[in-house]
Amino acid sequence: MKNPSLALARTLSHLTSLKPLPTAPRVDDDGDSLPSDLTTTETATTSPLLADDDGYLLPKSPTTSSPTKKATQLLSRKRQQLRIRWPYKCSYHVKPIGSDDLGHLKLFARPTAAPFACNSLTMTPFQSSGPLVGSDNSGLRPNTPLVPQSTTPFSSYGPVVGSESSGYVRPPPMAPQTNVPQASSFRPAPPARFNDPSVPPPPTSYAPTPAGPFPTPQFPSNQPPPSRPVIGSRPPFQPPAAQVPPPQLPLHPQQQIPLVPMGSPPQNMNYVPGTGRTNIPQPSSDSSFPALRPNSQPSFPGYVRQQSSADSPAPPVQSPFLSKQGSAPFQTTPPSFATHQAGYAASPPVAAPMGLQTRDRMQHSTLGPPAGSLQGLVEDFNSLSIGSSPGSIEPGVDLNALPRPLDGDMEPKLFNEMYPSNCSSRFLRLTTSGIPSSQSLASRWHLPLGAVVCPLAEAPDGDEVPVINFSNSGIVRCRRCRTYVNPYVTFTDAGRKWRCNMCSLLNDVPGEYFAHLDSTGKRVDLDQRPELTRGSVEFVAPTEYMVRPPMPPLYFFLIDVSVSAVRSGMIEVVAKTIRSCLDQLPGFPRTQIGFATYDSTIHFYNLKSSLTQPQMMVVSDLDDIFVPLPDDLLVNLSESRSVVEAFLDSLPSMFQDNLNIESAFGPALKASLLLMRQLGGKLLIFQNTLPSLGIGRLKLRGDDLRVYGTDKEHVLRLPEDPFYKQMAAEFTKFQIGVNLYAFSDKYTDIASLGALAKYTGGQVNFYPNFQSSIHGEKLRHELARDLTRETAWEAVLRIRVGKGVRFTSYHGNFMLRSTDLIALPAVDCDKAFAMQFSLEEALLTTQTVYFQVALLYTASCGERRIRVLTAAAPVVPDLGEMYRHADTGAIVTLLSRLAIEKTLSSKLEDARSSLQLRIVKALKEYRNLHSVQHRLGGRIIYPESLKFLLLYGLALTKSTTLRGGYADVTLDERCAAGFTMMVLPVKNLLKLLYPSLIRVDEHLLKSSGHDDLTSIEKRLPLTAASLDSRGLYLCDDGFRFILWFGRVLSPDIAMNLLGPDCAAELSKVILGEHGNEMSRKLMRMLNKLRESDSSYYQLCQLVRQGEQPREGVLFLSNLVEDPIGGTNGYVEWVLQIHRQVQQNP
Amino acid sequence: MSFDLIFWVLCFFFDLALLSSNFYQLVILSDLEADYLNPFESSSRINFLIVPEFIVHGLLCAIFLLTWHWLLFLITLPLACYSAMLFVNKRHLIDVTEVFRALSGEKKFRLIKLGFYLFLLFIIIFRLILSAFNSLTSDEHYVDLF
Repeated sequence: MKNPSLALARTLSHLTSLKPLPTAPRVDDDGDSLPSDLTTTETATTSPLLADDDGYLLPKSPTTSSPTKKATQLLSRKRQQLRIRWPYKCSYHVKPIGSDDLGHLKLFARPTAAPFACNSLTMTPFQSSGPLVGSDNSGLRPNTPLVPQSTTPFSSYGPVVGSESSGYVRPPPMAPQTNVPQASSFRPAPPARFNDPSVPPPPTSYAPTPAGPFPTPQFPSNQPPPSRPVIGSRPPFQPPAAQVPPPQLPLHPQQQIPLVPMGSPPQNMNYVPGTGRTNIPQPSSDSSFPALRPNSQPSFPGYVRQQSSADSPAPPVQSPFLSKQGSAPFQTTPPSFATHQAGYAASPPVAAPMGLQTRDRMQHSTLGPPAGSLQGLVEDFNSLSIGSSPGSIEPGVDLNALPRPLDGDMEPKLFNEMYPSNCSSRFLRLTTSGIPSSQSLASRWHLPLGAVVCPLAEAPDGDEVPVINFSNSGIVRCRRCRTYVNPYVTFTDAGRKWRCNMCSLLNDVPGEYFAHLDSTGKRVDLDQRPELTRGSVEFVAPTEYMVRPPMPPLYFFLIDVSVSAVRSGMIEVVAKTIRSCLDQLPGFPRTQIGFATYDSTIHFYNLKSSLTQPQMMVVSDLDDIFVPLPDDLLVNLSESRSVVEAFLDSLPSMFQDNLNIESAFGPALKASLLLMRQLGGKLLIFQNTLPSLGIGRLKLRGDDLRVYGTDKEHVLRLPEDPFYKQMAAEFTKFQIGVNLYAFSDKYTDIASLGALAKYTGGQVNFYPNFQSSIHGEKLRHELARDLTRETAWEAVLRIRVGKGVRFTSYHGNFMLRSTDLIALPAVDCDKAFAMQFSLEEALLTTQTVYFQVALLYTASCGERRIRVLTAAAPVVPDLGEMYRHADTGAIVTLLSRLAIEKTLSSKLEDARSSLQLRIVKALKEYRNLHSVQHRLGGRIIYPESLKFLLLYGLALTKSTTLRGGYADVTLDERCAAGFTMMVLPVKNLLKLLYPSLIRVDEHLLKSSGHDDLTSIEKRLPLTAASLDSRGLYLCDDGFRFILWFGRVLSPDIAMNLLGPDCAAELSKVILGEHGNEMSRKLMRMLNKLRESDSSYYQLCQLVRQGEQPREGVLFLSNLVEDPIGGTNGYVEWVLQIHRQVQQNP
Repeated sequence: MSFDLIFWVLCFFFDLALLSSNFYQLVILSDLEADYLNPFESSSRINFLIVPEFIVHGLLCAIFLLTWHWLLFLITLPLACYSAMLFVNKRHLIDVTEVFRALSGEKKFRLIKLGFYLFLLFIIIFRLILSAFNSLTSDEHYVDLF
């Protein structure tokens, strides 16, 4: 064995393979637990505490023969046809001399006789074959292209002095705090202090008093937070002003705009004059208007009732209402029904039949002013009148009054405020943070009940997740349920025991972890224990959590070099991008890299560091694929840097004359698996044509119009050949994550190819009709991000939840390794996973339900870590509370994933209607909740927290995946969008569903020099009515920018922005910077927008008003509120939902 | 040894094979559910058995037909047709990537099959004993009722 790390891995795997696999009793199912087929070598037979860790999967038995031997045998046995191909097609076939043990070496040496004549026409990117012999022989020298320091990770688990193993290179964001050997730096102090490790903390910080100079969290970690705080009954400790978000206030994550939707006590004070009236619905005022008959057919369907903004010029009574509508932009609309205003003022909004009314009725608060007690039973909900205006009979909805998420995603503030130790909502979002107390209650909540987890979400500066090393005590976990220690555990018995918050088991505190309790029952070292104060921490995992040493990050590139790939310029962009990213690949200096290309044959590249030029090896036997060289195809990047660079430089020119149209994709995949199975890693596939050769070849089954609408429709969106699913499963098994980049202008069956990414935790990037001149920039940025973002390797994720609740289904790109363990060969910050839970017991007895996400992974630096995210949510006994705690973003994410999964088993139409049905059911339940107390008349009511649900539901049915049928979206695009939407975190998904539309020409004309994003980002409703043909608009859905030029836009602007191209057809124009202020300003603005959302690159596309059909496809399809092509507009959608809600069951 | 006895012994072993195969698959599935087995292992083990099981079942069905055991043929026919349908639609194998989603359905399917083969086994044992009895007392066919 040449290589120590390889040898170790093999030994380990050998040991593992000896264990009786299926029957080994699992001691516990812990979290990051060991998949049953793999047992840790050391721990399997020892105490249960040790045995539970997890896993990482070893290749089952790569033990029998070393790859070297195997390949040699293969070679000699089969007398493979092996070609050494020189650039420019001067390759020829060589018969191996099989009898020799070094046969394969000679084989590569053969081409010394290569016809140089054909080589001479151009410069040769590869070295001439002369030196080949020598270099091949040296291929057997014991160089260690694999991680030379692969054993170092273990050193950190030894008894490291201090609480931190400072010997580790940590990822840059963590560096400031983690390298400080003093535990005190973990104190939950303000970030400023956190970031300054060089300043030793004052000695007082060690004083074991919680009342030290450092702020402690609001809820002491060892006391359970007050269970189920009823919002309404909380003492009004917040000034009302704090609850009134000014309408244009930019939503800042840190900003506390809590409780907005919930009627909260402080307002009782403002309410005093009007309380008597507000909660008594006045039937008289209802009757003063024509009967509301939403079911009657509109005679003027287009009629839109103007918002009379009943609340704006109102007496003091209504000021709270006004302020409550903070996020609703429509209150600024001029009151057009002035004559009615008096009436509205006299009869409070309850009774007003038109317009949007936010009824904020507080729950009676005993602490509130006496007037509050008059309010009695109260709920808060929004309503939208489906009424008719005087003189007309058709039902109408005020278009302007409809709620729109123009401020972007609202993160659930309330959730984190009640439980300050919860992890941030960017990591974990529950669809409702009020957990139903009983099964019957849960069954009345028709929306999904679950969570969206984005375990590696990018943290803003100063809020990084602290890394903790329990170097000698081991990670503290519950004995029974394997919960990690977290802020919600309670310490008792003078600190000797701790009670698990999930299963209430009393555990012993390990000796090294012991600390005394102070008079309030808190641990005295609380401020030095981030795991006891923060909901998101990372533990350094000791050796029990690994079955093999952490592998180095491996990037393997599988590049299609057939003629279409060459023509589109993809190869060049890819090669250049990879080359430019070599410095930033994570995991230096251990990073491994490898390349293979394929057309009708598969080409491997020997990148051994001793070579000066890479060598190409061609395998043309596709039926029995093998790897021509056991080592040196995957090399250590830092050692072989110059060879890799030489390869990437020559790659584009190497194939520029290639005329091969075939694609041996399946065999190439198998070869990649053979190569990567030792190490795992990331496989990046650049695929340009439909796989046509060898195993896994696909038919042009195409997009058949006749299939749509039949029972066979969904089959189009499923993988055609089970080969791809099997390969995906194999890849996951060997810890290989696949990212697919597809470029074709023709049908490439993304549905089949995407399965590779779907089950390996990867992603699909689809560039239809790729042209490097147009899409090159997008590919460059997205590939660069893929290569350079912090990635977690060999990961498994499990979410634990308290007693009585169980996670039942998981949705996203991953493969389930056991019923509740998500296997993720490679995962990064742009991936989110959704899951649904259900109640196991009829009645929950606890007051709070805890959720704990544990992601066990190998960081790029080679350290095994466990990221633990903990959150608590109150159990609520009634449906109203559940609605009040609902989180639209998480609900929409789950709904969209469910809908996409539905399209894989039924028609698009069915997926849309089941989505609609779900929304209708939810709103109907909500209506039933309130229809007893209130006269609802013809109004559609919905909870404040779900006010955007209707719109997002509509946008979802119009999204690329669910929209229309055959003609609306090509099959490949639909599938690619589906794969993408299955991984998107909440924020990105919401932006994709409801893109932001902003008017830019006014901003560009303004002479003010500063480019403040907030000043321009006034989002407009996505309807054609927002567009002015004199304007220039930017539509940003997070994936692309569309710049819309109004028909009568001032020619100056167009001239300035486009230069001489302004008269040309815009589809061919690429927006670039021209030498004038306006153009620069626009580019600055676009770049700023791109920086704010860097997970995808937004390519700017230009479209002119009236430029059909391009405008329709590109731009108008984003205007989700408009009725386009037979779909519902927002108004019709609301009316339709309302009708269905009103229908009796 | 009469032909009849050989026939029933053959049926007995066929059915026993089917029964044990189903039982084994069921055990694997519950192991998978309890996390004693990983999906790769369990689905490859089950998939290895599925086609042989279909073939044995088809054989059983065919020999019932060829030997004019109409009742037993009609009893085994629906399952044979269903299996053939699964095979034609390529849905007979367990999909390793989605195995957990299909787990409860697959378990139920195998449980029903297990019951079915058990029932069949009782009939076959009864007939086996009868024919054994008949062949031993070959001169007097007392109980040749069936």
